Amino acid sequence: MTIRNPLRDHGQRYRPRIACLKKAEKVLLEMQDLKTGVKSQPQRLVITTIPHAITGEDIIAWLADRFQVDTQEARSFGSMLVALGYIYPLQDHKRLVIKPDASLYRFQTPYFWPTQQWPVEDTDYAIYLAKRNIRKKGILEVHEQEHYNHLHKWMNHKWDFIVMQAKEQYRAAKERKKPDRVVFDCQERAYWVVHRPPPGTVSAMDYGLDRLIDPNADEAKTPDFYARIMIFTQQSIMRPRVKSSVSLGAVVKYCATYNNHDPFLSKCLPSNPWLTDDVTYWTLNMPYVEIPTKMRVERWTFSFAELLSDPRGRNDFRLFLKKEFSGENLAFWEGCEDLKWGEAATMREKAEHIYKTFLARGAPRWINIDGKTMEITVKGLKHPHRYVLDAAQTHIYMLMKKDSYGRYQKSPVFKETVKKAICPEEHHFTDAQLEQNAKKRRPSLSPIILRQMEQEQKAKMAANVDITQLCRFTTPVPHLAVYSGITDFPSANASPSLPFLAHSPACPSPISVALDSTSASERRVEAGEGEGEGNPAAQAPAGGNVSKSRMALSLHRLLKRGCTPATLFASLSPKCHSAAGTSSHIQPISPDQPSQALPRRIGNFFQIKVDIPPECRIYPIESEDEDEENRAASRGGVGAKEIICPWESLTPQNGTG
Amino acid sequence: MPLVNNKVGDDCTLGTDKALVDGKAQVDSLIKVVACYRHLASCVGGCTDSLQLRDELRQTREKALKLSVSICNHLTSHLRNKSLPEGQRKEMELLWVAFSSSLELLHVDMCKVFNISDIFSLANTDALVQTGLQGGGSEVAARALSLPDLNLAPNPTLPAGLESQERSTMEQEISQMDHMIDDMEMKVNVMRWMVESHGSQHAEVLSSSDSASLALLSVDEEQPGHQPPCQRSHIHVLVLLFAVVLVAATLSVCIIFFT
Repeated sequence: MTIRNPLRDHGQRYRPRIACLKKAEKVLLEMQDLKTGVKSQPQRLVITTIPHAITGEDIIAWLADRFQVDTQEARSFGSMLVALGYIYPLQDHKRLVIKPDASLYRFQTPYFWPTQQWPVEDTDYAIYLAKRNIRKKGILEVHEQEHYNHLHKWMNHKWDFIVMQAKEQYRAAKERKKPDRVVFDCQERAYWVVHRPPPGTVSAMDYGLDRLIDPNADEAKTPDFYARIMIFTQQSIMRPRVKSSVSLGAVVKYCATYNNHDPFLSKCLPSNPWLTDDVTYWTLNMPYVEIPTKMRVERWTFSFAELLSDPRGRNDFRLFLKKEFSGENLAFWEGCEDLKWGEAATMREKAEHIYKTFLARGAPRWINIDGKTMEITVKGLKHPHRYVLDAAQTHIYMLMKKDSYGRYQKSPVFKETVKKAICPEEHHFTDAQLEQNAKKRRPSLSPIILRQMEQEQKAKMAANVDITQLCRFTTPVPHLAVYSGITDFPSANASPSLPFLAHSPACPSPISVALDSTSASERRVEAGEGEGEGNPAAQAPAGGNVSKSRMALSLHRLLKRGCTPATLFASLSPKCHSAAGTSSHIQPISPDQPSQALPRRIGNFFQIKVDIPPECRIYPIESEDEDEENRAASRGGVGAKEIICPWESLTPQNGTG
Repeated sequence: MPLVNNKVGDDCTLGTDKALVDGKAQVDSLIKVVACYRHLASCVGGCTDSLQLRDELRQTREKALKLSVSICNHLTSHLRNKSLPEGQRKEMELLWVAFSSSLELLHVDMCKVFNISDIFSLANTDALVQTGLQGGGSEVAARALSLPDLNLAPNPTLPAGLESQERSTMEQEISQMDHMIDDMEMKVNVMRWMVESHGSQHAEVLSSSDSASLALLSVDEEQPGHQPPCQRSHIHVLVLLFAVVLVAATLSVCIIFFT
């Protein structure tokens, strides 16, 4: 007996509703009608004849006639009936298809029909295999043998019963007349071919997962049942409703727009690979192809989401943004996507990195989001999770969509792409060529290789990113940390010239030394036009882990030396024509540092709506002792050299790390 | 099947030995009846479905139920007996497992017959599926009921109420079985995973007198075109034999001739 404890039974053992079975039964009952059904003939065997055999071609003809369909469809329908187990073939019993010739079939007895409420029991299968084994040893096939061994292991407690039952059934069968015995054997064999198919075959009874409750059983009317109905109806009432004219209008618009792009509804240029076995279509539409097809480019104009979701489109858009010096928006958006869909282990670092690169004051690729969103984001970054940057991401997405997308479509970049896009000719294959194509089928690239290609692409792009959206007061510097994902921190030599960089005669800018070794932030050289001092840039490759103590040490050293304070501008790299207004550089220097490089435009950039005390730290996720250390070091009034997280000022008081 | 080895014992064990043998015999016959019921059930809804078949089914069912009730009582009383020695208990548990499995099979078959007879009413014989069967299940029923000959007078008329009456009887019997199964589980706690069966994995091959039907089955498969190659091989063998005989004959002739 199956051990069933209804309270704790969480086993899923009920078959889901298979609606086609009832319909197939109706068809079958019509088919087997003596007068109006399929013509039957006797099957002649060596020593006997067995009636009620039907030929494949008769079945197909009858189906085509009854349902007014063409023979191809009737054939598929017939094959479905065979695959479900309502008709079984007499010859070649393992292949459950209808052959449109004189091969014979017979109707299955209702006891063996695959109807819904009778699950297929393993005990029965064990008995069947034991019976066959008893009759003739070694007749079981390999997969049957495996099943048999498995069942013997799992049903060991009733194995005696199984063997006995097999013997009894065998003996009972012997009581019957020979033709009947043959028929019964065929029936049973057909039943098990359907329900325990050999491995590698496609089974029509492949219905997916079993259900927890019996879909045929009536549901008990308990209070829980009614409670569920009530909750459902309440939620239905609260559901927001849209006028059908509106929703239908949206559906119609979608269909009209995408009609020509649907490979089922309209032609697929050059040809549908699934039909003609010719893979030109796929090669022309690879993710990072150089020259896209016209259809693909047209799809980019449908919506911004389409543009972004197509890798080639995104590249194009990125190129456009680069020309417009607003590439950080897209980079930020991609960073957020990476955070959302990436691994949990690296999430913290990623969030931190994104913050430092895009969001913090003095970040090299600062994006422009409003104060409220910034506040929410910064607050959330205290305890980073996957969706912490969602608000900012949405803001940037809408910004890009409303602003850049429109300009993109009118831009020369896009026009160029449209001009270059190709429109392949349609293929017209003859039958012989189709066969040739079928022979030349090869498996496509392995997903591992595709992933490697993608990563190479990403690395290439990361290497190419040029943070040229520096304002004219900043000099592009090497080792600019580009947001290119946590994995690659190339010391990307993005920009070539560093005219002012190498001149650090006396003070080799310990900051730069320090910062080079840490990944605290990225700096821009504040090399003002009038500055002949040649303040070297203090750069630091972004990302990675900070060695705070070194930082502190170097800061300390710097303070002692007191030289080139002007280097300590964590300046910004805003886009010159961003909404933030004039690009300026940050001057989070404490007031007691008189340097001529005291910027003309001090902090008007950062006195934005973010009301954060200037001497804060930037590392959102920090350890307490490092904070202390750094805090102590910077108390000399140097101010933040690195981009610091605003709430860190609270940490010592909070006592939380 | 395990032999009952305890020859020595007091009345108690002797009694339980006998009980064991008894129980074994009853379970065997239940298994036989269940097997026959399955054969009969597979005919329901097919072209050989008839009142007679239904009658046979009913009789087989009744016998099975009777047997199962008696086994249930027998085994329950023995298994609840705390003073049962260990070996006996194991045997009893084996019987118990066999009994409950047969009950399950019977239950499933009964439900199936119930449902099929719902769909295929005997009043409408056109709807019965042409399954290719020709004979009824009389011999099988006879085996089930252990009667040498089953001589039932077929009931020519079909009273309108008979089917519904039969249905209600079936429903009652099915629910009775349900209760029995539930009761069994309540009263006796047999842990299935502790029960070990005696038999080996592969039962011994029974007599191969059934090779004829096997041959029928396999011939079934092959196309008629297979016949000539077989015959051709036969011919080859014959020719070879003939040639050998010829050679032997010529050799002997030569020997006689030259000596």
